[in-house]
Amino acid sequence: MSIMQYNGGSVIAMVGKDCVAIASDLRLGNQSLGISSNFEKIFAMTERTYVGLPGLATDVTTLHEQLRYRLNMYTIKEERTMEPETFIHLVSSTLYEKRWGPYFIEPVLAGMQKTPSGAFRPFVASTDLIGCINFAKDFVVAGTASEKLFGVAEGLWEPDLEPEDLFETISQTLLNAVDRDAYSGWGAVVHVITKDKVVKRTLKGRMD
Amino acid sequence: MDISFALTGKGYVLVAADTTAARSIIKMKSDEDKIKVLSPHLLMAFSGEPGDTVNFAEYVERNLRLYHIRHTYPLRPASAASWIRRSLAESLRSRSPYSVNLLLGGYDTATHTPELYWVDYLGTMTSVPFGAHGYGSYFALSLLDRYHDPEAGLEEGLAALRRCIDEVSKRLVVSPGKYKVKVVDKDGVREIEL
Amino acid sequence: MSRSYDRALTVFSPDGHLFQVEYALEAVKKGTCAVGLRGKDVVVLGVEKKSVLQLQDPRTVRKVAMLDDHICLAFAGLNADGRVLIDKARVECQSHRLTVEDPVTVEYITRHIAGIQQKYTQSGGVRPFGVSTLIVGFDPNDTRPRLYQTEPGGTYSAWKANAIGRSSKTVREFLEKNHKDDLSRDETIKLTIKSLLEVVQTGAKNIEINIMESYGKITALEQSEIEAAVQEIEREKEAEAERKRSRLAATAAGQAAMSQAVPGQ
Repeated sequence: MSIMQYNGGSVIAMVGKDCVAIASDLRLGNQSLGISSNFEKIFAMTERTYVGLPGLATDVTTLHEQLRYRLNMYTIKEERTMEPETFIHLVSSTLYEKRWGPYFIEPVLAGMQKTPSGAFRPFVASTDLIGCINFAKDFVVAGTASEKLFGVAEGLWEPDLEPEDLFETISQTLLNAVDRDAYSGWGAVVHVITKDKVVKRTLKGRMD
Repeated sequence: MDISFALTGKGYVLVAADTTAARSIIKMKSDEDKIKVLSPHLLMAFSGEPGDTVNFAEYVERNLRLYHIRHTYPLRPASAASWIRRSLAESLRSRSPYSVNLLLGGYDTATHTPELYWVDYLGTMTSVPFGAHGYGSYFALSLLDRYHDPEAGLEEGLAALRRCIDEVSKRLVVSPGKYKVKVVDKDGVREIEL
Repeated sequence: MSRSYDRALTVFSPDGHLFQVEYALEAVKKGTCAVGLRGKDVVVLGVEKKSVLQLQDPRTVRKVAMLDDHICLAFAGLNADGRVLIDKARVECQSHRLTVEDPVTVEYITRHIAGIQQKYTQSGGVRPFGVSTLIVGFDPNDTRPRLYQTEPGGTYSAWKANAIGRSSKTVREFLEKNHKDDLSRDETIKLTIKSLLEVVQTGAKNIEINIMESYGKITALEQSEIEAAVQEIEREKEAEAERKRSRLAATAAGQAAMSQAVPGQ
């Protein structure tokens, strides 16, 4: 029994056409005993950067607080919002600081990155628990259902999905993957991020 | 071996904990109060490693009291819970961690809402409509899935709590005999005889 | 190199004075006046409030602080120093409860505060606290009111009645003349206000009164109550003056009558 599976939970992020989506389940458990069906693991860091923190629940809260603190300090000192690509490096260095006693979290990030021309491009990335970054062009997954998420996403995802289609794809991917995982599920949340708005939807899931 | 339950209702939070103090298989005491009153509108049921529990509870109590004296107003339940969680999370990665599990029931006098937080020794915290720690949780959580109503009055809430206690007495081999029940609502904290 | 020398600022002068401590006492004398008075089973703290500026919020300017359920402190001197000292004392109150379950006694917390003040006269790179304090309260399971004073040097002492801050000498002399043992609640309050009026020219609106009647029972006097007390005191003073005047007049009249009697002889 790994400590990464102690509380359960999964997160996935996908790239679409001028949009990204990030989704997670809502379960918090003590091994096989469910404690809460309302434990959010996805946090809005800036207006268009969202981070999902699956793993050990105590570290979900601690790391979120730590990242929020460092991000706020950056925002105040630099007088500008942090871009997603910068933020994933902040996540990476925060995790690597604890290289020999890590936070048991594998973060997933989704956001709209500002390009030099002023336009926005979708951006997703993930890291392992000590901060090794994985930049992906299509989708990233993490958590207790990550293997299942990989399988379903590989089958359902296609390039250049419009926001509504991306929402459908990520929702189906997550719901069907967590149904095969005892440690994930109990409802889900999906955020679809475009350059000027974010839509958050809560999904009902199987409660078994 | 400690057992504690808590549930929210319409304008109140009920917190119950057994009153047994045991050393391995021996009962040393049967009127131990395991629910601390932290501030006028905040209750904390604690369980876990004997020694750690009372020590941590008193540490929290004194710090929240100090906050109250320093700032005239007490911390609101959400902030108090957050501070307590952080204490446990920092303790977890220290040389001698506390092994204490908590149920924090409070009434927010600013928003007029009852709040309940489930916290374990790792520093895991989540807001729940009802929660439990110890062996009782295996019975209570499934019972409350069926019988809990967040809009229930105090009598109904107590009835649901009684179901949990009765079920533990019926099914658990080493069930405790007595429970202490406290409620927190707009008027503050008081003890209830079941 | 300079590190090898004692860098303490408070060093003896050749004739045995600690100038920094004496300067701190000067800072205390500049602070607004505070009076503490012990009655039979009550202890009263009265302070002179500085008039706040027109746009300032008076609730944010405080000279009396609760240290714990059963202890109050008033200070005179530098406000910022007072605040720091109060915070240290509050932490000690809770820490004491945490380690030995019991609340602190008034003497214990006084000694602790005086101890802190003393430390700042004997360590390197620090200056003494520019405050004197009056500490009042009740010990747990005891009905006797307590009143203590601390000074920047770290000395502390118990009193029946005392004053600190601006014109404290005048007030103390007034108290020495008028203090009686076992005063009732109302007498204690009245004498406190009376003594403050010796030095507070602006009257009721610049006076704050806190009363401690038993363990954990603290009340602040309403502005209207203080005004009523001040008026009563003024009426008494007026009556006293009137009596004096009429007595003087009578004597003068008597003398006049006598001197008039002479030519008629």
